[in-house]
Amino acid sequence: MPSRTALGFISPLLLLMIVVFDAPILYMLGLGFWSKQGGFTAEHYGNLLEATVYLKVLGSTLRVSLIATIANVLIGYPLAYWMRSLSPRAQLMAVALVITPFWVSILVRTYAWIVVLGNGGIVNSALINLGLIDEPIRFLYNELGVTIGMANVLLPFLVLPLFAAMLRVDNRVLQAAASLGAPARTIFWKVFFPLTVPALLAGALLVFILSLGFYVTPAILGGNRVSMISNLLDKLINEIPRWEQASAISTLLLVVALAIFAAYRYFDRRVQS
Amino acid sequence: MIGGNALARRLVAVAGISGLVFLIVPLLIVVPMSFSSARALAFPPPGLSLRWYEAFFGDPRWMSAMATSASVAFVSSLLALLLGGLAAYGLRRAPIRGEGVIEANFVAPLVVPTIIVAVALYLGFAKIGLLGTYVGLVLAHTVLSVPLVIMVLTVAIRGFDVRIEQVAWSLGASRAYTIIKVVLPNLAPNVFAAWIFAFISSFDEVIVTNFIAGTWDTVPKRMFNELILEINPTITAVATLLIAFTMLALAAVAVLLQRTGKLRPTML
Repeated sequence: MPSRTALGFISPLLLLMIVVFDAPILYMLGLGFWSKQGGFTAEHYGNLLEATVYLKVLGSTLRVSLIATIANVLIGYPLAYWMRSLSPRAQLMAVALVITPFWVSILVRTYAWIVVLGNGGIVNSALINLGLIDEPIRFLYNELGVTIGMANVLLPFLVLPLFAAMLRVDNRVLQAAASLGAPARTIFWKVFFPLTVPALLAGALLVFILSLGFYVTPAILGGNRVSMISNLLDKLINEIPRWEQASAISTLLLVVALAIFAAYRYFDRRVQS
Repeated sequence: MIGGNALARRLVAVAGISGLVFLIVPLLIVVPMSFSSARALAFPPPGLSLRWYEAFFGDPRWMSAMATSASVAFVSSLLALLLGGLAAYGLRRAPIRGEGVIEANFVAPLVVPTIIVAVALYLGFAKIGLLGTYVGLVLAHTVLSVPLVIMVLTVAIRGFDVRIEQVAWSLGASRAYTIIKVVLPNLAPNVFAAWIFAFISSFDEVIVTNFIAGTWDTVPKRMFNELILEINPTITAVATLLIAFTMLALAAVAVLLQRTGKLRPTML
């Protein structure tokens, strides 16, 4: 069909996206450089470097995101590897079990950790009953709880693409290595693992981007004691209105997220080819 | 797995199963908790009752949040499906200048961290007077659902042989008639899947809603704000209903896609 007709099909959505998505984002980018007295200023960005509270939030965001990402890699890789070894039927079951939590509200999944990790929760009562600890371990309302909750919520984002990439590794390549006398350990580290590294990196970057913008889990499991960038933004918008400052922080987060996304696309393309 | 001794294989199995348990433990906990007779968050529950379901269905605030959630999800998912479906068709059926940029724009709400979308929409809506309005809520949810619709339908339309449409045209059918009578019936399962995905994504949305909804209360927004204040077991009943609803919707999608042979283990 002619391009002019096609444009007719596309333009209603395009109009909606421009008005309700692109324009607000551009307005936000502009507001970050807007001085209260009017005119251009970079003071909102200068504030970020000067005020220790911003640097502290940035530090804890990076720390929690990094640890949650590493935990995802350590849990997700063996899980995907194990799924690869299952029969096709069992694989479909396992994939269903990974996908279901992915679609269940993040609130539900975060809430459950209060029950599991609380002072009278399952983990603490079990540890106390086993005589391993006398006092309950404080999992909640600190960075540990937030990290556990985030690792849990994000795991499907790493496992599903990684598992798909592992399925694409040709078994004959591994058989060839075995027929040449390579022991199982060598086959894994010298043949299988290197073939899955791009998918692992892509998944880890995706998880890291999502962690940076996490809002619900830190708000609930951190109980006001763990502040991540999103919770700071919430305060700057809804509690102490400092919209220009919030815009500057959002802009910075957007730039970082898009840069990491570009890296993700690079590795993801290598997986596809 | 090639070769490897029994010990290594067992270790991988243990690690894999532990990972899977870690993943689904929240769902396994919440469901029995919702039938607990106790107020305290003890697991396993000391006795069984339906009191938290009664508390949920008997509370007009929860019921009104439910009505808002359902109506916003219904309207926004249909809007996303209609606009997204037309756009996906246009994108796949003709070469357009800047096609890549346009498609990237449609998928962007999924890539940009949601908290940034929330901040931007708050500021933008405050400027044009949509903050705290039903229309603003629906439009925001539509924009957030559009990427899912585009991703599901562009793949489906690409897989649909354009020659079948050409046959219809050559027999004198108009473009609109062809879409309604030829394309839609063939892609019905995919369209339905896209609609379900859009519906769930709107029904579960909490971050943007929390920023822009004003006095409008949706189920996730209400849950979120209750969770921050205090632990109320009514939440477990809401959570269980949400899990059941999500599983039913996903099962419907799986059955439909299986019928068309499009179910893949790698599909989200």
